[in-house]
Parts: sequence; C-alpha cells; structure tokens
Amino acid sequence: MKKIVLDNVLPHVFQDGRPIHSDVWNSQVSLEKGKLYLVEAASGTGKSSMLSYIYGYRIDYSGTIHFDDRELKTYTVENWVQLRQRGISILFQELRLFPELTAWENIIIQNQLTNHKTDDEIHAYFEALGIDDKETQLCGKLSFGQQQRVAMIRSLCQPFDFVFLDEPISHLDEVNSGIMGRLVVEEAKRQGAAIIVTSIGKHIDLPYDHIFKL
Amino acid sequence: MNLIWKLLRQHISLGQFVGFFFANLFGMMIVLLGVQFYRDIYPMFGGKESFIKNDFIVLTKRVSSIGSFAGATTTFSAKEQREVAKQGFAYKVGAFTPSCYNVNTTLGMGGKDDGFHFSTEMFFESVPDDFVEIEAAKWKFVPGSHDIPIILPKNYINLYNFGFAQSRSLPKISEGLMNMISLSIHISGQGKEGVYTGRIVGFSSRLNTILVPQTFQDWANREYGEKEPACSRLIVEVENTADDRIATFVQKKGYETEDDKLEAGRMTYFLKLVTAIVLLVGFIISILSFYILMLSIYLLLQKNTTKLENLLLLGYSPSRVAKPYQILTLGLNAFVLVFALCLVFAARDCYMGLVTQLFPQMDKGSAIPVILLGILIFIGISILNCVAIRRKVNSIWIHRS
Repeated sequence: MKKIVLDNVLPHVFQDGRPIHSDVWNSQVSLEKGKLYLVEAASGTGKSSMLSYIYGYRIDYSGTIHFDDRELKTYTVENWVQLRQRGISILFQELRLFPELTAWENIIIQNQLTNHKTDDEIHAYFEALGIDDKETQLCGKLSFGQQQRVAMIRSLCQPFDFVFLDEPISHLDEVNSGIMGRLVVEEAKRQGAAIIVTSIGKHIDLPYDHIFKL
Repeated sequence: MNLIWKLLRQHISLGQFVGFFFANLFGMMIVLLGVQFYRDIYPMFGGKESFIKNDFIVLTKRVSSIGSFAGATTTFSAKEQREVAKQGFAYKVGAFTPSCYNVNTTLGMGGKDDGFHFSTEMFFESVPDDFVEIEAAKWKFVPGSHDIPIILPKNYINLYNFGFAQSRSLPKISEGLMNMISLSIHISGQGKEGVYTGRIVGFSSRLNTILVPQTFQDWANREYGEKEPACSRLIVEVENTADDRIATFVQKKGYETEDDKLEAGRMTYFLKLVTAIVLLVGFIISILSFYILMLSIYLLLQKNTTKLENLLLLGYSPSRVAKPYQILTLGLNAFVLVFALCLVFAARDCYMGLVTQLFPQMDKGSAIPVILLGILIFIGISILNCVAIRRKVNSIWIHRS
C-alpha cells in the first residue's frame, strides 16, 4: 500500500452546520508511504476518530477514504484482517493492552501473527526503553507510562506500510520520548513506511514532512 | 493459540458448564436409551417375521351354526373384496386361494422301513406373492418342477416338540433342523396324481395356514382342481393394526379377525407411543441443555467482548478468535456423548439380564444404530454451537464498525 487519501471526510458529529477550520476535515489529505506526518489537535477535534476511521473500526463519517485506489468501505473482514496484520499498525491512545497477560505476552500475542521480530529483538526493545525488568509482570500492574512503552513495542512487532501513533508520549519523559522516536523511525525506515503521529501539545521531536492542524 | 486461550478462558463459569454437562448428559442418555430399549424390546412382541409383511390382518366371515344350516356362504365375493379394498385403513387386499385337490403329506426320518413316518391329509393355501417377503428365488414354483416351497405355522413345530416328541421320547427339533427336512407330498384330483417334494422355507406364528406360492396354487388348481377355488379369507395390509376403523368395520360387516394379531399390534402401538413420548422428553431436555450452553457461551463472550475486540484490532480473524470457544463446546459435547453411551450400555446390561431370562430365544438388538444416532446428535448439536459462536463473534466485529 502506497497512499492513504481522505477526501471530504467529516465525522457525523460535526455535521451540525458549524464552520470547520481544519486541514483534514472536509478537505483532501494524502498520506504517502515513507513520510513523517504530525497531526496536531486540540482535544475534541476528532483526532482519535480520524485514526479509528482509517483503522476501520468506526464508519460514522461522510466522504471517502481510499487505500491506494480502493474505497475503504468496500473492504471485507478478511481484507481487514490481512491489512491489520501486514499493512497498518497502530499505537492506541487507550493502549488496548491485555491486563491479565504479562508485558512479554502482550508483545508475543501480536508478534506470533507474523513472527516479524525475534525474541532477541523484542528483548532489545524492552532494554532500550528501560522496562526489561517488567517483562514478566502483568500489564495491569504497570504504570501508564510503562504500559505506553509496551504498547509502543507491540506496534513495531508487525510488518506495516503506515504506523499510527496516537499521543504516544503523553505519560513519558523527554529521554524516553527520544528513545521511542528513534526506535519508530528506525523501524519505519527499515520497512519504508510512513509514520503518522497525533498530539495535543507535547509531541515526539521528529523531522516531520508535513504538519496538519486538525 | 495458548495465549489466546489464556485470555479467553477468563470468566469461564464452571457452574454453568457443569449444569450444561448434566442437562445434556441426561437429554442425550434418555434419547439413546429410549431408542436402544425400543430396539431391544420390540422383537419380543413376536410380531416381526422377516418373510411376511408386518402390518396385516386376516379377515374371515363368522361361522355360526345357524348359518351353516341355512347354507350361508363363508366365502368373500369379488364385490366384498373390492369393498374391503376401498376402506381407508387398507393398503392392499389379497385373497387366500384354497386348494381344490387332495393333498397327502408324509414326513419321515430315517429309512423307509425302520425310520418313523407320519402321514396326514392336509390342504394348501396361497396369498399373492407380494405379501410374502422372501427372496424371489426361494419362493417360486416352475410348472413341471417337483419342488414346492412351503411356509408352515409355527404351531406345528410346537405340536411336534411338546406333544408328539415328548410322548414318544423322540428328539426335539429346532426350526433350523426342520428346514432341512423335506416333505413328500402326494397330490391327486381329476383322476390325476403327482408326487412332489415340499421344502420348508419358513415358519409363521401369525399366519395359521400352510402357505405355498401363488403360482403353484394356480397351476395345481387347474391341473388337479375339482371345482373353482373360492376365497374364504382375506389378507389385508394396513397402516396400523390398532386402527380403530378396522374394529368398527369388522363389527359392522360381521367379519372376524384373528384377535391376537390385533393384540400384538396394539401392544407394539403402545410401545411405539411410549417410546415416542420418552424420546420427546429426551429431545426437549437436549434442546434445553443446548440452550443453557448457548446462554453461558454468550455470557462468556459478552464478558470478554473487550478482549475479543482488541484481538480483532490486532489482526486476529473472527474465525481464529471463535476457535477456542468452538473447541471448548466440541470437547464438552464429545465428553457428554461418550459418557451418555457408557451409561446407556450400563443400563442396557441391567435390563437385558432380565429380558434374556424371560425370553431366552430372543435375538439381542444391535447397539450400532444407537451409537450412530449418538454421533449424529453430537454432530448436529456441535454444528449449531459452532455456527452460533461464530455469529456472535461476527456480531462483535460488526458492532464495532
């Protein structure tokens, strides 16, 4: 997949006639493979909605979204399964980790779908992010910042053309944010993928190709 | 798969599954035991003869002393036969054809001079061949041949075994042995005579007559017969011998039926009825247990909705997410099947001990149909379970969108 195009997309909740001042809603946006994007937004402007539309788990919008030349609403269940395994990856704002599994198991449950990373590579991620001592702890017992890092690792353990990071560093310090930024860029480069980061203020410092104001 | 299972087994309620297990077990057991019991007990009613169609009655006219003096006929005219055939309970009507010639039969064992022989005057009757369910090759007569297949009443063996053989200290003979004995048959009439060999192909406890093939009877009546054969008994194939229309009709016309046959028919009818009720109860329990399982699986899926949703978002397919629950129900169903079959066979051993004491000569019914039925129910329920689970998981996918 090379390109994601949002054409005149507008969430149903915004269709009450209020004037919209946005680079994304009701306009044409094209996200291309290999580039870095930042979506800046105040809260309540539909940042997570945008990601959920692209990730295919909400369809309450008007307008169209195309992956390359195919309209997103024509994707079958099987298409989505393939796409989520190999085309797009996401770090959810609400993380969506499994609290009853350990940090390590949370990664494996993703990685075993494609066996994208070896155990050593995963260990290296844990080490780089300073949570290698938490591997065997239940995710539910970790702090939100630690969980954010686990979710980060998980989003890198699959092949992708686009990776979406929804407020990835809301609970992280400067140092860890820097490490995270480096790891994501490394992996994206390796795969030739695009990175789309959203933020409500604090954001990872990266050489963005384009910044959208939502 | 292990991780998925570790996740999805959360919230499994042991109590609910135990409830399902017992409900399904009892349902399955009642159904299977009902069928097995029916199969085991049914032959006891003696109604079943492999070579005569089962549900039939024999109609005769009442013989009364006044009628005899007044010269009332006891034969059925063609019109009367048609009238019987028109009745709602009758599938098919056949006339008994009597022999209009003299028959003398000699049954012998041992040599001509030193063995024992007994000889008797007798008669033959025939019914249309399609009432006799015996291999066509065995039940046929070719004019010119001297070989006649015969079906004897079972009473004859009993008469010989318990009457004649007992008093003369002769060996008793079984049906199998009797089949090997041949009868020497002397037929005469119209000034002609012929000697034939009778071959016993079966014994009937329900038809009190000596049956020969229709082809032989027609031929012999032409050859030796001294008058036109008149039919005095009718064989009527019916749907159900316990049908009350039969009794009403018979009474109205002043006919008679051989009562014990109706009795046996009535008994099997009640056996069928009771079995049907038992099966119905079993099926209802099975359906309820299926319902319990579905409820607890739905509850489980409901409690795990967030987990299922997250797995789907990570790129797991609905079929893969549904699989652990499908395997769980499959395992439970299989366990129930095996357990139910064990219980059925244990119960069967108990009642068969008593049954074989009462009816030593009875054949034990086969258990294979019940095992097949069990497997069939297992497959049916499992398919329904799996489809329901899959639909539930799909609904999570769709709701999300």
